[in-house]
Amino acid sequence: MEDDSDYEDSYVASDVEDYPTSEDGDYGYDPQTEPEISMRRAAYTVLSEEELKLRQQEALQQVMQVLSISEGEAVRVLRHCKWDVNRVNEEWFADTEALRDKIGLVDEQPTGSGRRKESCGICFDEFWVSEMHAAPCNHSFCRGCWKGYVHTAISGGPAVLSLRCPLPDCSAAVPAALVTAVSDPKHREKYHLYSLRSFVEDNQRLEWCPAPGCENAVEALHEVSNEAMDVTCRCGSSFCFNCKEEAHRPVDCETVKKWIIKNSAESENLNWILANTKPCPKCKRPIEKNQGCMHMSCSQCKHEFCWLCLASWQEHGERTGGFYNCNKYESAKKRGDYDAESLKREHARVSLQRYMHYYQRWAENDRARSQALSSKAEANDKKLEVLSEFVATPTSQLKFILDAWAQVVECRRILKWTYAYGYYRFGDNIPDEDTAQKQQQGFFEFNQGQAEMFLEKLNGVVEKDLDNLVEEFKREPGLSEVAPDGSVFVDQASSPERQAVWSKFREQLIGLTEVTRMHFVKLVQELEKGLDQLLAFYSEQPEAEAEAEVEPAAVSTAEASGSATPAQQATAKAPKRSKRSRISSRAAADKASNSAAAFSLQEADSELEAEAGYWQCRRCTVINRDLNSQSCSMCAQNRRGPISAS
Amino acid sequence: MDAGRIQKELKEIERDKKSGVSVQLNGDNIHRLTGFLEGPKDTAYQGGYFVVDIKLEDQYPFVPPKMRFRTKVWHPNISSANGAICLDILKDQWSPALTLKTALLSLQALLASPEPDDPQDGVVASQYIKNQPLFQRTARQWTEQYATRELASQDDEKVLSITSMGFPREMALTALESTHGDVNAAINKLLESC
Repeated sequence: MEDDSDYEDSYVASDVEDYPTSEDGDYGYDPQTEPEISMRRAAYTVLSEEELKLRQQEALQQVMQVLSISEGEAVRVLRHCKWDVNRVNEEWFADTEALRDKIGLVDEQPTGSGRRKESCGICFDEFWVSEMHAAPCNHSFCRGCWKGYVHTAISGGPAVLSLRCPLPDCSAAVPAALVTAVSDPKHREKYHLYSLRSFVEDNQRLEWCPAPGCENAVEALHEVSNEAMDVTCRCGSSFCFNCKEEAHRPVDCETVKKWIIKNSAESENLNWILANTKPCPKCKRPIEKNQGCMHMSCSQCKHEFCWLCLASWQEHGERTGGFYNCNKYESAKKRGDYDAESLKREHARVSLQRYMHYYQRWAENDRARSQALSSKAEANDKKLEVLSEFVATPTSQLKFILDAWAQVVECRRILKWTYAYGYYRFGDNIPDEDTAQKQQQGFFEFNQGQAEMFLEKLNGVVEKDLDNLVEEFKREPGLSEVAPDGSVFVDQASSPERQAVWSKFREQLIGLTEVTRMHFVKLVQELEKGLDQLLAFYSEQPEAEAEAEVEPAAVSTAEASGSATPAQQATAKAPKRSKRSRISSRAAADKASNSAAAFSLQEADSELEAEAGYWQCRRCTVINRDLNSQSCSMCAQNRRGPISAS
Repeated sequence: MDAGRIQKELKEIERDKKSGVSVQLNGDNIHRLTGFLEGPKDTAYQGGYFVVDIKLEDQYPFVPPKMRFRTKVWHPNISSANGAICLDILKDQWSPALTLKTALLSLQALLASPEPDDPQDGVVASQYIKNQPLFQRTARQWTEQYATRELASQDDEKVLSITSMGFPREMALTALESTHGDVNAAINKLLESC
């Protein structure tokens, strides 16, 4: 049953839809050397609260069976091992006693007779032993005191999940069953919530959907890296699995984080947090030091550290120069580590103007994206039906308009983040002699400009042109009038003239959507590859392209079977050119695989074009009726080649 | 809050007079108590009589009691300025099975064995490590000057002088605390807020 739901909910997210998404590394990509490719394919599942509970239960059952331990113990062990069943097995069998000690699992102590009275160690009243409760260590306390103890701990936050016996110096873990047995429904619910949250939050492969009100979690189906990974929850919101910000490919998480902090309207708040809190070096929760000494211990993860230098407290002692006066901090200060920080801030102030340039464009695109989203909804709600009558076409056939809007929304998002990228990628003043940097900036801005130009055009067509067209149709209403003789219906909507106008518009919009998509796919790919690599790649391009296009199938077969690519063979033959050849071989391999992918893409394209009876120029979007021609009749752009600058 | 437990605690402290610690209720309010402890023998604090302010929250004993020295103390783990205490059992190591008595006894033990590795007062801790004889001298001097039964009862007299004007004992304590023991300032403050 799990398999079914897995299958249904699995997405293979790939912005580059035309890329083959098979997992077995077609075309010989080695993820080690080509991380940017593996990044594109992000397989994940969306899990609802119910499904999460099932998953948690499954993991528990598995551990309980394998280790023959109780559910309460399994929870502790799993929590300790971040809910990674494999890690549990490893750690458990490596040193069972050490692990049990560490997480407070003690062997069940024999209970005495229940028919005697004992004093509760908290309220000092006498109770029948049979009415008292105890963790497996058998230190009994009365029910009321347990309740107070557990409720206070639950109010203290998720740390309650590692609750220990109330007796000082007893480290026995309090089992979940005892917690739920003594707590009232409100606290019990909170405890269960913490438990489920721990399952998601401690688990590296799970993340909550950050959309407000959404209670789903997303599970990554492969090893999680620290790279950006866009995922879309069932609720429709897209976010980055790695940093939980909105989806931001092709820009990396670090840039996004910096950018968002920079843009934060609550900069005052932020200043306060920066000035008054430090993240716990272990669990990263922000900590405010409001009293006491420099010896901090995190209230949640219990990590002990020095407030000044943030190193573990264990590393402090008389050896390191004393506790009241952290030497690590002093020497780092002398070295200027902390001055550098302030210099950086100063620098940021100076570059305010440059920042405004990028920020305005980022914000403009952000706004345009929201507008496009509402326009899309509006089109879906009303416009399509009106249009449907005007052009005598069912709304199902007008979906291409929604597709165009969806494309605008997606492109605005990407474009928006390229401004954040640009802001951080290029410094304030690139010195004239740094030609590589200049070249990269020029290249990036050109691509960004190209993508933006097409996006603006697409936006204009789907918005203004379409509105104008509808206005025009309104002036000559689609629904027929009764002719004077009372019998003839003139159906304007299906008149050949209108159909011709409409189909032209339709072709233009579909074509433009596709061209814009291609441009952004290219932009995303390029930025993910990195600009420096890219320039090297383009300088090698003609050769590599020729090589790859002669026999793309052969190349891909050779690579898939693990033998050397032509470029690698070339490297082997000419070891003296090592550095340059390496770039070239890499570029060639890149290109070969790209071409191999493009090859299947081309096949698909050809079929579609044959069906449509025309092909559309990638650059100027003109419709070419000659299916055999390889260059555009308008601008002479190569039909399959990369888009050249006009 | 469990008044029964506090009554039991007080009774137990009352019973065990030899322990060198005692706790006194401030009127009817069981949230504010005053603790007293004798300086441990063979230390710079010997012969001293220290007063500790105790505040109990509603969740007591499930949360630690808030304790602060009202008597000025020269000790690495006690603030020489405001009496704040750096002691693990008063923070995250608290357990509901501990009591006011055990907490005060722990303070006594803290006086006997300072932990300069975990200082509350950097200046004192620094002196403790670098110049032990000077530290001992200062600590003894402070003990003789501040940690006396006379001062403790004077402190009590101050409270009495305010309560005799008709103010409740706890208000008198709060006002005295905020004015660092200045009776006149405390009375002015109370009159202003009336």
